[in-house]
Amino acid sequence: MRIVHYVNQFYAGLGGEEAAGIGPRVLDGTVGPGRLLAQLLGEAHQIVATIVCGDDYAASTAAAAPELLGMAQAAGAELLVAGPAFGSGRYGLACARLVAAAHAAGLPALAAMHPDNPGITDAGAAPVVAAGATSRQMRPTLQNVAAAIAKLATGATLTVADGRVARIARVGRLVEQRAAARAVELVLRRLAGERELTEVPIGGFDAVAPAAPVDKATSATIALVTEAAVVPAGNPDRLESARATRWLRYPIEGVDSLDSGVWESVDGGFATTAANADPNRVLPLDAARTLERRGTIGRLHNEFLVTVGNGTQVATARRFGVEWAAELRKAGVQAAILTAT
Amino acid sequence: MSALRRIIHDVRSVELGAVTRYEQHQLVVGRDQVQALFAEPALASVRVHTAVPGDRVRIIAPLDVVEPRSKGPGGGVFPGWIAPVNRKRGGDTHVLRGAAVLAAGQLPRNQEGLIDMSGPAAERSPFGRTHNVVIEFDRADDASWQEAEVALRRGLLRLAVHLADAAVDAAPDAIEELAPPHRAGTPTGGLPRVGVITNLQTQGAFKDVFVYGRSMAGGLPTLFDPAEIEDGAVVSGQYGHPALRNPTYLHQNHPVIAELRARDGQDLGFAGVVLCPEPVQQADKELVSTHAAWLCRAAGFDAAIVTKEGAGNADNDLMLKVDALEADGLTAVALYAELSGADGTGPPLVAGPRRGAVVSTGNYDQRVKLPAVERAFGGTRLRIADAEAIAAVEVPTAAILCALSPLGAGRLTCRSEQQLGGVA
Repeated sequence: MRIVHYVNQFYAGLGGEEAAGIGPRVLDGTVGPGRLLAQLLGEAHQIVATIVCGDDYAASTAAAAPELLGMAQAAGAELLVAGPAFGSGRYGLACARLVAAAHAAGLPALAAMHPDNPGITDAGAAPVVAAGATSRQMRPTLQNVAAAIAKLATGATLTVADGRVARIARVGRLVEQRAAARAVELVLRRLAGERELTEVPIGGFDAVAPAAPVDKATSATIALVTEAAVVPAGNPDRLESARATRWLRYPIEGVDSLDSGVWESVDGGFATTAANADPNRVLPLDAARTLERRGTIGRLHNEFLVTVGNGTQVATARRFGVEWAAELRKAGVQAAILTAT
Repeated sequence: MSALRRIIHDVRSVELGAVTRYEQHQLVVGRDQVQALFAEPALASVRVHTAVPGDRVRIIAPLDVVEPRSKGPGGGVFPGWIAPVNRKRGGDTHVLRGAAVLAAGQLPRNQEGLIDMSGPAAERSPFGRTHNVVIEFDRADDASWQEAEVALRRGLLRLAVHLADAAVDAAPDAIEELAPPHRAGTPTGGLPRVGVITNLQTQGAFKDVFVYGRSMAGGLPTLFDPAEIEDGAVVSGQYGHPALRNPTYLHQNHPVIAELRARDGQDLGFAGVVLCPEPVQQADKELVSTHAAWLCRAAGFDAAIVTKEGAGNADNDLMLKVDALEADGLTAVALYAELSGADGTGPPLVAGPRRGAVVSTGNYDQRVKLPAVERAFGGTRLRIADAEAIAAVEVPTAAILCALSPLGAGRLTCRSEQQLGGVA
C-alpha cells in the first residue's frame, strides 16, 4: 500500500522553533522517524512521500489540514499516517486535524500521540494510536504504529487491543439511590477501609511548568490575552457568555484604554457591573500602555485574544491554549499576560 | 441542640378555591388569601396557578421553592424573616409533604431554568414530583428588582406558613421524631460519627443565602442546629445555575441530613451540621476551609460529607474542604456535578481534591430532549432554547431545576464508558 507520512518541521530536520512558521510542503520518500517506520513496515507497504508543516503554522491556520491532505492525495496516498506527536500540543493538534480531514474524505488514516495530548479530540472519528509521552519512546511507539497500519490496510477497524486510544465518556444515568444516600454509603465504605473508592475519578490535573522569565522585558513584545469575555460593546461577533466553543481576536493598535461603553465583558459567570464601568480592570490595556511608554516593556502586541472561561470545558480550554501559543509565537510575541475572572 | 417532631400531612391534590383549607390529603388554596399575602408595595400584581405531577405543564424561570410548614398559631418557622430568632426551639412542626410553593419569572441574575411536570425533566427535578402552587408576579414601576425580590420572598414564606396552618388540626399521616445530633464526647456504641458541611453561596444580591435572615458573607463556618434548618433558618435568595441551586425547600428537607438520620444508630452516629460561606477570594476560601475542618474535629466528627452551591468558584471551596478534612485525618466525601461536555468525554472536574472521594450528581452538559407541553407559567418564551415556552426543546441538564442537586436530592450519576472513535 502507498503510504504518506506527516511530520512536523522538527522531525523533518528543517529546524526547531525558529522554523515552526513554515507552511506545508512535500518531501520525497522517508524522513526522520519515517525511516524506522518504513523498516518496521517491511515490504508490504511503502512510504512514498512525507508531508511537513511547521507547528505554529499548522496549529494557527485552518486551511493547513486540507492543504496537506491535498498534497497527500496528489502523492497517491492510499493510507495516511501522522506523527507520532507524543505529548506535543501543536504537533498533536496538527496530526489530529489532518487525520480527521483524511477520514472524512474517505482516505484511511491514523495518528499517533500520547493519550493526554490536548489535540486528541480534534481527531474526531479517525483512529489514534497511543504513543509514549516523549520521543524516548520512539521505537516501541513506531512498532505499535506499524502493526496498526498493517491492520488498517486490510480494511479492519482498530480497537483498544491495537493500542487505539479509546475515549472515556462519562455517561449520565438515573439510578435507584439519590446522591445523598450514595454519599453516606461511600463514607461508610471508606471508613471501613476501602479508602480508594470514589464515583468520579479524582486527580490527574495538569501542572504547567512556568516558562523561563523573559530575558529582557525592555525589548520584548508582550501580548494581553483574557478569558474574561471582553469584547466591543454590543458583542458584534456573538462570543458566548458561558461554555465557550471558540475564541476571538481584536486589534488594539492605537488604542490606549478600554473605555466603558466602547468595550464590555459578556461573561456570564460573575457580576460584570464593575468590569463594565472600567474594562481596563479585567484587561489592563491602560497600565500596559503606560509600561510601554516608559520603556519598561518593549512593545505591546497589536491585538488581544479573548474567550470566556465560564463553564468552558477543560478539553476545549486546552485546545485554545495550544492555538493561542501558536498564534503568539507566529506573531513574534515573547510573553503574554492572561487575565482570568 | 433541640429535638423536633415533624407532624406529617400528605398532600395528594392541590387546587385553587375561595378559602384555603386542607382535608383528606386535599389542599385548597384560597385565591384572595394569596393576594393578601403578597400585598407588598414592590409587587404590582401576582397570579396564582397550580402545577401537579403528570400535568403537561412547564414552569419557566423558577425562582425559590418553599415547603409549606407551620408551628401552629404561635408561629416560629422562618426565623429572621417572619418569626423572631429568639423563640423556643424545637417542638412540633407541621409539614405539608408533597406540596411546594414557588415563584417563577424573570429576575436579574436569575439564570433561566425550567421544571416540567411530566416527561424526562420531571424525573430529574424534585419539583416535577411535588404538588406546586406557582406564583407569577409583576414588579411595581417604582420598585427596584432587589425590592421586588425581597417582597417575593416574604410572600412565599408567608404563603408556605398559611397553607400549612390549614392542616394543624388535621389528623397526621405520620409523626417523625428528630433527635439532636450526638455531641462530641458522648458514646455512639463504637459507630463512626458522620456529619455534613454545607457551603452556602455568598456573592451578593440575587446570589446570596440567608441564615436567620442574614448573609454569611464575610463570616466563618459555624456549627448549626439541624432542628433550626428544618424550621427554615436557612432561606435561599440565590438564582445562579438552575440545576446546581439549593432552594429553601431542599434546606428544609436537607437530603444528606435525612440520609444520615436514616442510618443513625445503625451504622453511624449523626454528628451534626456545619454551615459555611463560599467566599470569592482564595485567602478567604483557605481560611473558611481550614476553620471548617477544625470545627468538625472539635465537634467530634470522624467523617464529613461536603456540599456546595453553584459551580467553578464553588468547586474550589469543595476541593479545599475535602483536602483540609483529609489532611486532619477525617474521611471526606464531596458531592460534585461533572462538567464533561455534551458527549461526556471531557475531564469531569474543573477542580478536584487531591484525596478523598467524590460522588457524582450527573453531567452538567448532557443534553435532554423534552416533549412539548400544553401550558407554561413564568414566561412565554424559553430564552435558553430560543423557543416558545411550550415547545419541544433540547436543553442541557444544567437548565433543569435541581437536576444536579449539590445537596444530593437527585438520582443522576455518571459512569465511565469506553468509546472508540468520535462523536458525530
